[in-house]
Amino acid sequence: MDSLITAAARALAAGDPLGALKRVALRDDAPALALRGIAMAQLGDLDRAKALLKSAARAFGPREAMARARCVVAEAEIALVSRDLTWPAKALDAARATLEAHGDHINAAHASNLEVRRLLLIGRLDEAQRILAGLDPTSLPPASRVAHELVAAGIAIRRLQTKEARAALVRAEHAAREAAIPALSAEVERASLLLITPAARLISRGEERPLLLDEVETLLASEALVVDACRRVVWNAGVAVSLATRPVLFALARALSEAWPGDVSRGTLLARTFRAKHADESHRARLRVEIGRLRAELRALADVRATKRGFALAPRHTREIVVLVPPIEEQHAAVLAFLADGESWSSSALAIALGASPRTVQRALEQLAAAGKVQSYGRGRARRWMTPPVPGFPTILLLPGPLPGN
Amino acid sequence: MKRSAAEILREYGPFPGAEDVAGVTFDGQHVWFASGDKLNALDPGSGEMVRSIDVAAHAGTAFDGEHLFQIAEDRIQKIDPKTGRVLATIPAPGGGDSGLAWAEGTLWVGQYRDRKIHQIDPQTGAILRTIDSNRFVTGVTWVDGELWHATWEADESEVRHIDPETGKVLESVEMPPGMGISGLESNGSDQFYCGGGRSGKVRAIRRPT
Repeated sequence: MDSLITAAARALAAGDPLGALKRVALRDDAPALALRGIAMAQLGDLDRAKALLKSAARAFGPREAMARARCVVAEAEIALVSRDLTWPAKALDAARATLEAHGDHINAAHASNLEVRRLLLIGRLDEAQRILAGLDPTSLPPASRVAHELVAAGIAIRRLQTKEARAALVRAEHAAREAAIPALSAEVERASLLLITPAARLISRGEERPLLLDEVETLLASEALVVDACRRVVWNAGVAVSLATRPVLFALARALSEAWPGDVSRGTLLARTFRAKHADESHRARLRVEIGRLRAELRALADVRATKRGFALAPRHTREIVVLVPPIEEQHAAVLAFLADGESWSSSALAIALGASPRTVQRALEQLAAAGKVQSYGRGRARRWMTPPVPGFPTILLLPGPLPGN
Repeated sequence: MKRSAAEILREYGPFPGAEDVAGVTFDGQHVWFASGDKLNALDPGSGEMVRSIDVAAHAGTAFDGEHLFQIAEDRIQKIDPKTGRVLATIPAPGGGDSGLAWAEGTLWVGQYRDRKIHQIDPQTGAILRTIDSNRFVTGVTWVDGELWHATWEADESEVRHIDPETGKVLESVEMPPGMGISGLESNGSDQFYCGGGRSGKVRAIRRPT
């Protein structure tokens, strides 16, 4: 409608943010601010972009609700890409409703997609899946379809549904090719690597080998009793006994499973679970108590039998016991094991689960965060921790189109 | 002031490769419309697109009886419709220019968000006079000595007949909600051609009598 805005918007759409900036750099009216914001976002200056889009949203008149809503959506995407998860979800939802009411279905769908990506990012899988199921990606432009399918793949991977994940990644790849955005194709490729990279290691009768994600899925669906050190759960025939909040019991279960069908001596169990170098009578008493507790927990799946030297595990419904461990067991592996469920945890909940002091957990989380292995959002008591995302997050900006000025 | 609802006589398009319609003009035979990187000629009888010229075309379009005028970025290009060549360029007045019309030897330019219409010298681009509107100005056209302009603000669009001296609105024709007008031109008698922005359409509406 306005010549320079049109020219700038066309430049942006053609992937030339500098060309767009050149045309509107000196203008401070609302559409120019919005275009400058999106151009800056594409150039990677997310802080400046956010500020520009905020002022654009303010500068649009009260009757320009649709233009304003597009700014809000662009702002939300910048927040998501910069992992600023404190961004108010309510504003995004209101913007989505406005766009829907004005018949801008593409940007409304983009807003919904952002919401699902945010939910996946903060580990609210059920909600993410529910909203995703209500979206129809067929009417979306290819770039948005890539984002949509990556989220679907991300949820499926978190849920160990590799077939669904693979199908979503294939659809994402097609859409990325159609969009002809190389960075998006690269995102899809990176996500696809997760399916051909060992996701865990299997310890079975003293031997060890890496497992791909679909092999993990097959294993959990098999007859074998699986002691899963990634999630701290004992699985057998669809029954799961979580020992996530019982670190000592899990350590015992794991030690016994690794030795199966053999037994483990009391001394070894004491050393592994209590880190006791010289076992005394009080240690032995404690071991008896813990074994009793483990026996109660696993009652439905296996028996814990006393042997001459110590204890041995005897499965009830199967003739196979295996142990699943993370691909790399490292420092703070216990913390990572809890976060592997893809949900978000408070550090105090982790401390309770690990039986460690809040300060110890906090220190571990900080070290892991510095290494990029975990991430947090929120502040103070509301702060939550989780492992970095599996796919679902194109880190490049797709940003709403048609652009806010139009 | 007289108010009425627009009567849409015909819709043209959308045409492939022209998703966004900006300015429109009429050379007596064809309706020309700007679509970003092209000026396209449409036969209003058959509804077919008959020709297009590769030229930057971001906003208003006008015809002086011989040449096409087309706003691109911050300038106005004078184009030979036969060859498609740009013969001259003058600066556009506002920086946020939208509609364009030719009348009585001068060009009229709508400045969208500034809600202004400038009368400019077609040789130099110098502003001769400025009329204020109280709405965003998109298309501008003259017919039978009457100045009409289109507004598009939020979801609402209308075609207004205004007093060129005072800017006072004499008559207004309202478009249905959600149907915007990006460019405006009369056919010289009973119709207006309206550019439909992102709808990619050109619409013919009845000029009120």
